[in-house]
Amino acid sequence: MNALVVLAAILFIFMTLIGGKKGARSFFAIFLNFGMIIFVLFFMNDPNINPLFVTLIACAVISCINLFYINEVNIKTITAFLSSIITIVVLILFIVIITEKAMIQGFGEEEIEELSVFSLYIGVDFVKIGASVIIMSTIGAITDTAMAISSPMREIHYHHPAITKKDLFTAGLSIGKDILGTSANTLFFAFFGGYLALLIWFKDLSYSAGEIANSKIFSAEMITILCAGIGVTLVIPITSWITAFYLVKKSNNTETVE
Amino acid sequence: MKDAKKMIYNPFFLYSLLGICLVLSILFVEHNESFYDRPIAEVIEIKQLENAEMADSHNNKDRLFTQKIIAQLRNGEKKGQLIHLTNEYSLSKAYDQEYKEGQKIFVSIAENKEGSTELTGSILDLKRDQYLLFVLWIFIFILLIVGKKQGLFSVLSLAFNATLLSYALDVYLKHPQISLVLICSVAVILFTVVSLLLVNGFNDKTYAAIIATLLGTFSSLLVTYLVIELTSGNGLRYEEIQFITRPYQMVFLAGLFIGSLGAVMDVAITMSSSIFSLYEKNHSIPVKALKHSGLEIGKDIMGTMTNILFFAYISGSIPLLVLYIKNGSPLGFSLNMNLSLELARAMAGGIGIVLTIPIGLYVSIFFVNRKRART
Repeated sequence: MNALVVLAAILFIFMTLIGGKKGARSFFAIFLNFGMIIFVLFFMNDPNINPLFVTLIACAVISCINLFYINEVNIKTITAFLSSIITIVVLILFIVIITEKAMIQGFGEEEIEELSVFSLYIGVDFVKIGASVIIMSTIGAITDTAMAISSPMREIHYHHPAITKKDLFTAGLSIGKDILGTSANTLFFAFFGGYLALLIWFKDLSYSAGEIANSKIFSAEMITILCAGIGVTLVIPITSWITAFYLVKKSNNTETVE
Repeated sequence: MKDAKKMIYNPFFLYSLLGICLVLSILFVEHNESFYDRPIAEVIEIKQLENAEMADSHNNKDRLFTQKIIAQLRNGEKKGQLIHLTNEYSLSKAYDQEYKEGQKIFVSIAENKEGSTELTGSILDLKRDQYLLFVLWIFIFILLIVGKKQGLFSVLSLAFNATLLSYALDVYLKHPQISLVLICSVAVILFTVVSLLLVNGFNDKTYAAIIATLLGTFSSLLVTYLVIELTSGNGLRYEEIQFITRPYQMVFLAGLFIGSLGAVMDVAITMSSSIFSLYEKNHSIPVKALKHSGLEIGKDIMGTMTNILFFAYISGSIPLLVLYIKNGSPLGFSLNMNLSLELARAMAGGIGIVLTIPIGLYVSIFFVNRKRART
C-alpha cells in the first residue's frame, strides 16, 4: 500500500466526518489546487511564456477555488478575491526586485552535486521562476487572511448598516491585527518544518554565521519566510479598505434607489 | 521609574529607536567586509565579451555570456588592489549569475604568476547579507505599521521560535543518540506555549488552545507515524533529503511535526476564541448550541487552512520539477521524486488540522463548563 494514498484516504474520511459536504468539497479543492500546480509547471517549461504571467493567472484561479468553490460567490468572497489579487500584484513587484538583486534564484552550491546529471542550461528564466515560487507559497495564506477579514466585516456592516467607511475600515484593521500573529505563525512553522533537513545539513557543514547569511539557499529561505510574512500583513489593510469601500458604496446605492 | 515606563511605550520614542537601529545596521552591513575571512571585492568595471548560443542534448536552447570583471578588494592584506576576474553566465541563470557594477562578491585570489603584477582569481558567490537585512527591515516595519503591538509580538515570536529551533538542532547534533522526534516534542511544547501566550495573553482561552494544539499535533504525528510504519514507507521517496548523513526518516517526521504546528495552533485558537466569545455573549448558552456553532466554524476554516500548508510545502519544489522535466524525465517520475515528501507533509498537516477541530471544541467546552461551575 502506498503511504500517500492511505494518508489521503484518512484525510478524506476525517474531513467528511467532521465537515460533511463542505469537508468533502475542501478535500476535493486540494486536488484542484494540485492540478493548478501541474498547470503552472507545464507552462513554466515553455521558455517563451513569462512565468510571472502564468503565476498571476494561476493565483487568480487558485483564489477562485479557495474562495468561490469552497465557500460560494457572495460579497464576502468577491471582496476577498479582489484584495488577494491586488496584494499578490503588489507583492510580486517587490519579490521580483529582491530575487533579482539578491540573486537567490535556481540552485545553491550545496545542491549542485546532486544535480550533476542534469543539464542546467535549459533556457527558462530561473529568476522569474524563483519569484513565482515565493508568491505561490504564500497564496494559500493570503486568501485565507482576506476571507477571515472580509467575513466578519460583512457581519459588522449587517448589524450596523449606518456605519461609516472609516469606522468599518478601522474595524477590519483591528480584526486583522488579531489574526496577524496566528496567520504569520502558520506560515513560519510550515517553512521551518519544510527546511528542517536543510537546517540540520547547514549545521553539519559547520558554516560560520557569515557563510550562512550569504549562502544562496539560506538567504532564499529567509527571504521566502519574510516575504510570506509581508504578504499576510499587507493583505490586512488592503482587504479592510476594499471591503469597507464596497460595502458602504453598495448600501448607499440601495438607499438612493429606494 | 514611571517615566521610564512611559517612555518605552511612547510610539515616537519606539520609532526613533527603530530608526537608529535601522541606520546603524545598514551602515554596518555595508562596511562589514573586515569581519569576513574570505576576500570580498567590489565590482568596478565590467566588459561583456562574446556570447554564444548553445543547445543541450534535450534540445533546450540557451545563451552563454562571458564577462571580464575588474574588482577592487575590500578586505584582507591586499585591500584596495584591483583583481581581474572572469564570469560566465547563461540566460536561464540556474546556477550562475550576471554581475553588475557596484555589487560585492566573495572571491578567491590566485597565486601570482611570475613577472605579472596583476591579481587574478575566481568568483565564489555574491555577498547577500545587505539584501537579507533590507527585506528583514521591510518585514519589521510593515508588521509594526499594520499590526502595532500584535505586529511586534509576531516579530518577537518569530525571533524566539527561530532561536529555539536552532538551539534544539544544536542539542540534537551534540547528542545524536537522543531521538530528533523527542527533542522536537519538547521544542513543540515550548513553541506552543510561548507563541500562544504572546498572541493571546494569559487567560482560559489560551490555556484551552494550548492543550488542544498539543493534543492535535501529537495525534496527527501518531496517525502519520502509524501509516508510514504499516505501509513501510511505500511511495515515499527519501532521495530528496538523503544528503544529510543522519536517519532521514526521523528528520522527515520531525519536520512534519513542526510544520503542521502553526496551522494546528491557528485552528485551536480560532476554536477556543469563538467558543469563549459565544459564552461571554450568553452565559446560559447550552452545550449543544456551542457544539453546533463550533463545528460550523470548524467547517469554514478547515479547507483554507489545509490549502495554506499545501501551497507552502509544494511550491518550493517547482524549480526542481522544471529542471527534471526539461531534462527529459517523465512527469510521473519527476512528481514522484520531488513531491512525495511534500505531499505527505501536507496530508499529515491536514489530518492535524481536521483532528484539532473536535479536540479544540471539546477542550474549550470543558473549560467553559469549569468556568460555569465556578461562578
